[in-house]
Amino acid sequence: MKKSVIETVNLQKKYVTDTVETTALAGVNIQVGKGEFVAIMGPSGCGKSTLLNMLGMLDAPTAGSLKFMGTEIASATERHRANLRKENLGFIFQSFNLIDELTVHENVELPLFYQGLPKNEIKQRVDAALERVGIAHRRNHFPQQLSGGQQQRVAIARAVVGRPSLILADEPTGNLDSQHGREVMTLLSELNEDGATIVMVTHSPSDAEYAHRIINLLDGQVITERIHATSAALAL
Amino acid sequence: MFKMYFLTASRSILRNKSYSILNIAGLTLGITCSILLFLVIKYELSYDSFHSKADRIYRATTISSYREGEEKSSAAHYPLADLLRTNKNLGFEQITQTHGEEGGQINVLGDDGNSIKRFREEAHIGFVEPEFFDIFDFETGNQSAVASLSEPNNVILTETLATKYFDGKNPLGRLIKFNNKLTLKVTGVIPDLPNNTDLPFSMFISYKSFIDYSPYGDAKSWNTLSSTHQLYAVLPESKTEKEATAELNNLLVNHIPDKSANLPKEAYSLQPLKDIHFNAELSNYSNRTVSREVIWSMALVGIFMVIVACINFVNLATAQAIKRAREVGVRKVMGSSQLQLMLQFLGETFLITLTATLLSVVLAELALPYLNELLELEITFTVLQDPVLLFFLVAQVLLVTLFAGIYPALIMARFQPIAALKSRINTQKVAGLSLRSALVVLQFTICQVLIICTILVNEQMEFFKSKSLGFDKEAVVTVFLPTGEGKKLMPMRQELANHPAVKKISLASSPPSANFTFTGNFKFNNSSEDVPFHANYKMADENYLELYDMKVLAGRHYKDSDSAAYVINETMRRKLGIESPAEAINKTIALGNGEVKGYIIGVVEDFHQNSLRDPIDPAIILARPDNYWFLSAKIDMANKQEALQHLEKVWNKTYPDDVFDYEFLDETIERFYQDEARQNKLFKIFSIIAIFIGCLGLYGLVAFMAAQRTKEVGIRKVLGASMFNITVLFSKEFVKLVLIAFILAVPIAYYLMNKWLQDFTYRITLDYWPFILAGVVTLIIAIITMSSQAIKASLTNPVVSLKSE
Ligand SMILES: Nc1ncnc2c1ncn2[C@@H]1O[C@H](COP(=O)(O)OP(=O)(O)OP(=O)(O)O)[C@@H](O)[C@H]1O
Ligand SMILES: [Mg+2]
Repeated sequence: MKKSVIETVNLQKKYVTDTVETTALAGVNIQVGKGEFVAIMGPSGCGKSTLLNMLGMLDAPTAGSLKFMGTEIASATERHRANLRKENLGFIFQSFNLIDELTVHENVELPLFYQGLPKNEIKQRVDAALERVGIAHRRNHFPQQLSGGQQQRVAIARAVVGRPSLILADEPTGNLDSQHGREVMTLLSELNEDGATIVMVTHSPSDAEYAHRIINLLDGQVITERIHATSAALAL
Repeated sequence: MFKMYFLTASRSILRNKSYSILNIAGLTLGITCSILLFLVIKYELSYDSFHSKADRIYRATTISSYREGEEKSSAAHYPLADLLRTNKNLGFEQITQTHGEEGGQINVLGDDGNSIKRFREEAHIGFVEPEFFDIFDFETGNQSAVASLSEPNNVILTETLATKYFDGKNPLGRLIKFNNKLTLKVTGVIPDLPNNTDLPFSMFISYKSFIDYSPYGDAKSWNTLSSTHQLYAVLPESKTEKEATAELNNLLVNHIPDKSANLPKEAYSLQPLKDIHFNAELSNYSNRTVSREVIWSMALVGIFMVIVACINFVNLATAQAIKRAREVGVRKVMGSSQLQLMLQFLGETFLITLTATLLSVVLAELALPYLNELLELEITFTVLQDPVLLFFLVAQVLLVTLFAGIYPALIMARFQPIAALKSRINTQKVAGLSLRSALVVLQFTICQVLIICTILVNEQMEFFKSKSLGFDKEAVVTVFLPTGEGKKLMPMRQELANHPAVKKISLASSPPSANFTFTGNFKFNNSSEDVPFHANYKMADENYLELYDMKVLAGRHYKDSDSAAYVINETMRRKLGIESPAEAINKTIALGNGEVKGYIIGVVEDFHQNSLRDPIDPAIILARPDNYWFLSAKIDMANKQEALQHLEKVWNKTYPDDVFDYEFLDETIERFYQDEARQNKLFKIFSIIAIFIGCLGLYGLVAFMAAQRTKEVGIRKVLGASMFNITVLFSKEFVKLVLIAFILAVPIAYYLMNKWLQDFTYRITLDYWPFILAGVVTLIIAIITMSSQAIKASLTNPVVSLKSE
């Protein structure tokens, strides 16, 4: 079996507010191997985004184990998580989350900038990433001047530019029409073919088809895992 | 890396234009005020600090102890300098005596010795010794001019006066006449003295000529003290002020010829040169002191202005932080550390502060001439050549950046990335709601304190103008009379009155209220002992009481020839223990040391002899034609021009060599309070600006709230809320804050003003209405500011506002 990038054991997350306690994750066990493309599905409110946030170290779990590249990080400090995040993870959001004040180029540059890479390397890698997603000709535009699909491609470029070991995508096509959605999905599976590990949350069965494996969540628990027939060989 | 920060910063400043404009405008105003106040303070503090020996120069001042209290004077006895010199300067490195005159009559003489031009000079004129220029570092150009002051009848002019008198022709060797008494040869011209000195002379006459001039009596006497005669000394490094004072007083005790037991006991005290500008108890030649309290209150006002502007910034920035939550989230997800984010936001604040400061420098430069005019100062502004100012500006930029920027930066840098991305951060969540409220309260407290102080200072100023002084000061023209021409007085009085527009003419030592008095000891009711207090003497002719409409309570006014008949005031009567005005009549009074005996012929109602800062003193009005230095003319204001023309015509005929330089008495009296008037103006301007800055902030805050709550407003409107409902919704919270601020402002303002008013014997009582007024005014301004936004929000089509989420 391939080495897993991420592995959770009985991962739990409870949100406690003044009046109510919500169990968003009630003991999730999943494993994502290197080079895999995993889709997470489930009804609204079942905890998909919560799980993704845990995997992305944007938030700490309440209980359970979370291993990243074999290291336990469930109770790591925010600073430690921030460091792991910037070295190893790439994020793609439903609402793109580009910074309006920065140009396409500058947005994509951001992760490398925070990693403190030398200037010319940053430029090379940003150019390559922009080429890769086919948006290089718009490098000096501001996000507001691009279509949704184009913005999402910029976000993808930004997610891959740091050469992360894991890309996390939360409903990447959620704000796009089907045409642009397909473009984005093709791009993601191409990236996967080039070696990127991807975990994606989606509501769309057709998007899920691009993945090797689909994890279904209900009420904060994994109910089924379905291995996509055509790519079963790759996953195991 | 920095380029990146700079780029994001400048773009976000440009993107949020209205917000940036509000912030920059507020900061610019605040910083401009702070720069101006800084310049004023720096200017005041620079007085006479530029002399290389400034730390060691002292002025010998005198404390006279009477049986009732003591009196301080900046005067030194006339013979003190000579006495010191015969005692090897008593160890002082240098000493010099000076006599200062506030202007005088100047005649420029032609080759034949006749007056060819005459001037009523307003500039200060000093009688000085050559040592003056050793002790004080005034630029003199050539030394021979200074040396010429060791001979009598020489004069050095400043460039301004030389040009004025001689139209640019060579003045050296030419003759001028001072007060028609001294003929002086111009032996030098020196550059004008700097503005920041309390020795502001424009003309330096040899001190040796003072004996021939001495207008107020015996220039060799130990019995006279005149604050126009001052002595300066340089203390050697080896001696302390205390030691020197002790030695000085020793000398005084041993050398003063036995004075009459009735004269006050005198002692010297050494006043540091650096204290002279700030000590209101002792006068100086420039006639202007600025108390340290005033300096401090200006500094405080300046700091307050900047604080109010910083509070704006903090309020707007934290409110704005919500808008930027997503950016923070993205940056954090991309790997930014908290520190990097904080630096980024501080960078933005820095950029805004820097922009505001640069604008302020320009604005301050534009505003300075007006401020100079207003405060009657001559401050110059040269940013680049002024290291202190530069340092102040740099320090201020950094401090404001920190003070205004650190809190919003901290708030933003601490956003949780997920919450930030989901825009789940709202106005309430940004920790600061309570802090922001506290800041708004602080801002309004400052504004209201300023308003209350302004109203009260203003009220006191009005009180100065309107308070009945015990005499009629309206429509009275006064002119200073040339000395030594006593014979001409009475005929001139006759002739002056001989015109329908001139109602009355009186000659006297001074008008009833003046900024100088003559006091003396006296005996009462045939006693051989002096009464234990001194009286003010007003030497005046028979028209005095009538011209000034002073109310006679008993007896009558004397005739010119009645040199033994005295009119006293009510305070005098009470202090002498006389039951009623009528009982005072015919009681005897012996002035001075018993030589002149007379009797009380009349009692007048109390009148103010000094400014309203001081209590009314006991006074004796008496006829002494030798001491009439003032002409008072009551004129018909309806025919003012004719009256003045007539006065001038008669004057010129009587005194062909003297300029007819008149003044209206009410204006003279108003000038007693010019320091307060300046403070009043300063307060007024700055409180208006402070309120304006505060309103800018409030406007921004409410505008932001309105933007945040567009959806809420939309829903409420769909449900039927009126514009009024919406305005109330927005204003409720702020009205509460203004009221809390009011409750805080009242005791602070009360304390401050109570303290300020203590300086005046005659003052307004602290009424409640200025406080209420200040509260109401701020409330109204705040509500107007807020409703403009609320109305805008409520006018928006609800469909549009609903869609905006
Ligand atoms: N910050 C929070 N505080 C309290 N409860 C939360 C918080 N975030 C999520 N929840 C709750 O946790 C549960 C899971 O939420 P999550 O956002 O993971 O759902 P989801 O599967 O992503 O839904 P969707 O498909 O609608 O995006 C929900 O019941 C939600 O209400
Ligand atoms: Mg979700």
